Amino acid sequence: MTEVMIEARGVSKVFGSVTALDDVSISVPRGTVLGLLGHNGAGKTTLVNVLTTLLKPTSGSASVAGLDVVSHGDQVRGRIGLTGQFASVDENMSGFDNLVLIARLLGATKKQASGRADELLATFDLTEARDRPAKTYSGGMRRRLDLAASLVGRPDVIFLDEPTTGLDPLSRIGLWEIVEGLVGDGTTVLLTTQYLEEADRLADTITVLSKGKVVAAGTAAELKAGVGKRTVSVVLAEPEDAATALNALAKAGLHPVHDKARHSVATPVEKSTDLATVVRALDEVGVEVGELALTEPTLDDVYLAVNSEAPAA
Amino acid sequence: MTTTVQATAATGEVPRRNDLGWRGSSFATQVWVLTQRSLNTFLRDPRMLFFSLLQPLVMLLLFSQVFGGISQLGSMHQWGSYINYLLPSTLVTTAMTSAMSSGVGLLTEMSNGVIARFRSMPVSLFAVLLARSLSDTVRMAIQLVVMLIAAALLFGFTPAGGMLGVAAALLVSLVVGWGLGWLFLAIATWVKKAETMQAVAFLTMFPLMFGSSAYMPVSTMPGWVQVIANVNPLSYAIFASRGLATTIWEANPAYTLIASLAISGVIALVGGLIATRNFRRTN
Repeated sequence: MTEVMIEARGVSKVFGSVTALDDVSISVPRGTVLGLLGHNGAGKTTLVNVLTTLLKPTSGSASVAGLDVVSHGDQVRGRIGLTGQFASVDENMSGFDNLVLIARLLGATKKQASGRADELLATFDLTEARDRPAKTYSGGMRRRLDLAASLVGRPDVIFLDEPTTGLDPLSRIGLWEIVEGLVGDGTTVLLTTQYLEEADRLADTITVLSKGKVVAAGTAAELKAGVGKRTVSVVLAEPEDAATALNALAKAGLHPVHDKARHSVATPVEKSTDLATVVRALDEVGVEVGELALTEPTLDDVYLAVNSEAPAA
Repeated sequence: MTTTVQATAATGEVPRRNDLGWRGSSFATQVWVLTQRSLNTFLRDPRMLFFSLLQPLVMLLLFSQVFGGISQLGSMHQWGSYINYLLPSTLVTTAMTSAMSSGVGLLTEMSNGVIARFRSMPVSLFAVLLARSLSDTVRMAIQLVVMLIAAALLFGFTPAGGMLGVAAALLVSLVVGWGLGWLFLAIATWVKKAETMQAVAFLTMFPLMFGSSAYMPVSTMPGWVQVIANVNPLSYAIFASRGLATTIWEANPAYTLIASLAISGVIALVGGLIATRNFRRTN
């Protein structure tokens, strides 16, 4: 049986009259990624803070690498890496000095520390910015430095709290690749996100939080099965083409609907090749396309699906 | 067949990663590394360095020129020039201003995420506070030495106590500043916001500064201010600093020295306890 590296058992956290976490349980086996999905205020960061020893649970218990987060806090801190929502680096120091500082605090010698710092700067494509103060870094670079800082001791367990929030698409993909690389090395990752797409791409299992409660848990495929499909929507150049367009798409085996207000037709699709089908079907009947968009299901769709499945209370 | 093989591969042993085994450094290393970090930040920022060294000089210039007429007062003749009276007390008030910026510095780091990083690491939070206190005391020493040199060269500061007396006055000011630093660190961990910190600091510093013998002999003040000045802990530090530098004691030397050092010690202890308690990792 695979070792459980992150575990929460019935964790609740109450701040005054606000229940931030309500009986939350999770279990993450070694070398896997758990995606913690939820909106702002769902309790994601609170759970991360409990698991990383920054907050004590009001009730319940949690452990990381088999060590209780309350009674063995310092040992837990020695085994984890945490990248929060806001870059936790010293802006006045260079990237190199930031990483050396952390390595030294972790117990590395000066030589080990500078070796490890340069290694990480190379991995994270920051070698050119090695000696520049971190305040001159772009948002993406800062996020990479922050992640590098969490990885200095090559920890077994990494917590990433909304690692891609506020990043441009290219930086986001770069960060995903880094996380995938870590997992390939056997690191256990807990990742929080507001994006279903991100959880789908990175996580082996997903736990959905809403108002401090676990409302759904399972693999990405299991969750997505209950969620709406991807949608292709076409804004028509000529609104009067709507009937022709709906006909053509229906003939192609799709199930289009008409959005009169936006002069568009939309259809759920299953495979990415269906996008080509839509374009071809419209082209064949001479319908001119104004705009074309493929939309992924969002966290809201998951919430909707979960709520519709929940028994009426 | 194929399915069975794949299933076995999928449930196979996940490779164990080669953790570097760094589980945290000793307390002394933490304090040393963190102190160096704060000092480097200060020394590597030329603008910050320039202005923090300039500030006490401007204060000195303003006070010595604006209040220069005080030297006409009968009770001031014994000090020769006003600068001899003013400079030892400015050592103490500058140490206090510097101590206040220690609290502001901690707040800046609490808000920009640096402290958040340390909290998630196997680092003693007391080491973080101690390193700040130490590095800010070194910074304070640099400020005061620069001020002393400038005062001797530009303002004609020639106290009777000589080098030794001035060095002793510097030392007392540093101890007082170090103690007050813990007070402002405690305030910083309590208010948690830079704006509130400024307001609290203003309310703490100005009454202490002006309700003392820093700029005017206490005997020239209205009765109720005299009462305040005589219980103001800063007054003892100023009496001690001025006595050591000028050899003119306004109160019993042993008493003022012991009082100023003891008060600083108590403030450091209480401030340190409160700061450490407020700074705790979990709640």
